[in-house]
Amino acid sequence: MTDTPAANPTDPFDPDAINAAQGLDPVDPAYAQVLRIATALNLIPIAIGASVFDALLIRHIEGPYGLITAAAWLIAIIVIATFPSRRVSRWGYRIGEGQLRVARGWLFRTDTIVPFVRVQHIDVGQGPIERWFGLSHLIVHTSGTHNSTVTLPGLHADLAAAMRETIRRHIQTDFA
Amino acid sequence: MSETAATPPAPAVVDDSGWQRLHPATLALAIVRLGPGSLNMLPAIVALGIAGEWVYILPAFGLFVLISLLIAWFRWLRFRFLVGDDEVVIESGVFARQHRTIPFDRIQDVSIEQGLVARALGIAKVGFETGAGGKENDANLNAIALDAAQALRTTIRAHRSGEAAAPAATADAPAAAPDAGDRLLFAMGPRRLLIAGLFNFSLAALAVVGAGMQFFDDLLPFDFNAFNPGDWIDLAEQYGLDQWVIAHRWVAGVGAAISLLFIGFASGIATMFFANWDFRLTREPRTLRRTRGLTTRTDVAVPVKRVQAAILVTGWLRQRFGWHELRLQSLASDGEKERDHQVVPFGRLDEIDPVLDEVGVARPDAGQIWQHSHRIVALGPMIGAACATIGGGIALWLGNEVGWLGLVAAPLIALIAIWATRFHRWADLGEQVAIRRGWWKPKTTLLPHASVQSVDLKTDFLQRPLGLATLVFGVPGGSSLASHEIPAIPLGAAHDLRTRILAARTRR
Repeated sequence: MTDTPAANPTDPFDPDAINAAQGLDPVDPAYAQVLRIATALNLIPIAIGASVFDALLIRHIEGPYGLITAAAWLIAIIVIATFPSRRVSRWGYRIGEGQLRVARGWLFRTDTIVPFVRVQHIDVGQGPIERWFGLSHLIVHTSGTHNSTVTLPGLHADLAAAMRETIRRHIQTDFA
Repeated sequence: MSETAATPPAPAVVDDSGWQRLHPATLALAIVRLGPGSLNMLPAIVALGIAGEWVYILPAFGLFVLISLLIAWFRWLRFRFLVGDDEVVIESGVFARQHRTIPFDRIQDVSIEQGLVARALGIAKVGFETGAGGKENDANLNAIALDAAQALRTTIRAHRSGEAAAPAATADAPAAAPDAGDRLLFAMGPRRLLIAGLFNFSLAALAVVGAGMQFFDDLLPFDFNAFNPGDWIDLAEQYGLDQWVIAHRWVAGVGAAISLLFIGFASGIATMFFANWDFRLTREPRTLRRTRGLTTRTDVAVPVKRVQAAILVTGWLRQRFGWHELRLQSLASDGEKERDHQVVPFGRLDEIDPVLDEVGVARPDAGQIWQHSHRIVALGPMIGAACATIGGGIALWLGNEVGWLGLVAAPLIALIAIWATRFHRWADLGEQVAIRRGWWKPKTTLLPHASVQSVDLKTDFLQRPLGLATLVFGVPGGSSLASHEIPAIPLGAAHDLRTRILAARTRR
């Protein structure tokens, strides 16, 4: 336990351990706020819909009014409060020797490596919520049918631009 | 034309002299295409019929044909193309005009396809293979005269090989004699097609015939279903054989079985003959060229440098007789349905090896040591088997005898799944990875390291405790549904293989 603290990447309750054990950098913690707002924008309309359904139909047929509304809002609040930070902590990336490594997920974890020389073109994108927090996402396009785009969200805008320049230099040197 | 030749650097001809139209016989193709198109008329005809206005049906149909022809004619009128010195220009569209320029340098090769009607008219559809993915990016000329199509291909090919910087006009001569570089790699004669057809025994066609017989049972003037042994007894009755047949019921069963077999074999042989008649695979300076087909003749070229992976497919039975099929995964797709190019539909391994040599892929020999995937890959079928057991149990509990089917099938599925895991294997051959899977239809994918664009290393909550990982490779071309993967191998081996593959240099 003392000699290799990060040797147990299968510990489901310590998400940091996965990234540390696999030599990955974490994405910007502010990305959790972006995900939280995006999740809220998705879930709150559903919760409102459930409330309307409850008020119009369940009350009409004299069912247990209020149950669905309460459950919908409770689930929405729990999901919005807890899930985004957990999801963010499982994103990891690494700009290595001529390759970009992006890992995500825990239940189904995918660890993707794209060599810079295989990159066709690069996008740096920024949505309205991301702009609010000064974040960008990097999209790397390859010519493979599987993984034709690899997305890395939650990067500080300057870092994303710097990464794009790094990858772009490699594309140029390969064809020079 | 001489003006063009005098000023070679001019990118396009300014005056209209160089512009060409499609072959007028294309309009005849439009009439043929009306066949399926006239289904759109069906609701209108039904409406007229219901209204009792039968006299209007013929004029209405005539009007429809006229309008369709008019549209086809407008399209033909507004479509023109120009073969310049180093580019093809295509202008199309009746209202929204589209102007497309394709430099010869970007044309990987030219495919020529002829349907039955097109062959009778002496015209062919020309497709330009540019390597840009997606159907909407494929440019084609549908259709021009066959000799013009061949001349066009010769022009572009000559330009590409760089030997003819001369103006395109000189290359308009009839197709030159085959190059010294062209040589036949593989061909299929009628005898080979017959053998291939026998192995192509198709139960799918059987199902169609069976469904058709069910469907038309009431409509047929005679009441006979080849799949119903009772009908065979009725038939025998007419000849006074009924007593004998009822005494020997197995004769009826054998009759039904023979007709089943006959339909299966006949459809297999027929599809093989129609698809692969006069199959020829030739090696040309930079492409593998395949011509085949009885009614629809296709002429497809696979640029050798664009080949990403080779896939060897065989069958449980045909493997015993040494027959295999070779497909090549390329950036371009093969026709409408197939994603991979079938370059050897049915051949011996010693016939396939020269083709593999041409694309720089080696086949693992018999002594190859294979690594196996973990048994966990059987999990999917096991869950299926569990569902079958539960479903069957519920059905029995509800008093339905069919439930036994589920209870019998479940252990069979589970056993076959566990046994079939032995056939999930892989080997690293140094320059390439070989992935084998399947027991009923063994499929070996030979994937050069250099074709791999990205690698996913996937684990999930089941594989992680077992120390396993799945490798998924991003490879250009092929189907997006069937990606190349090595499922459930030890994590350490997966990491090593990933490192080795990513270290490979860009191909050639």
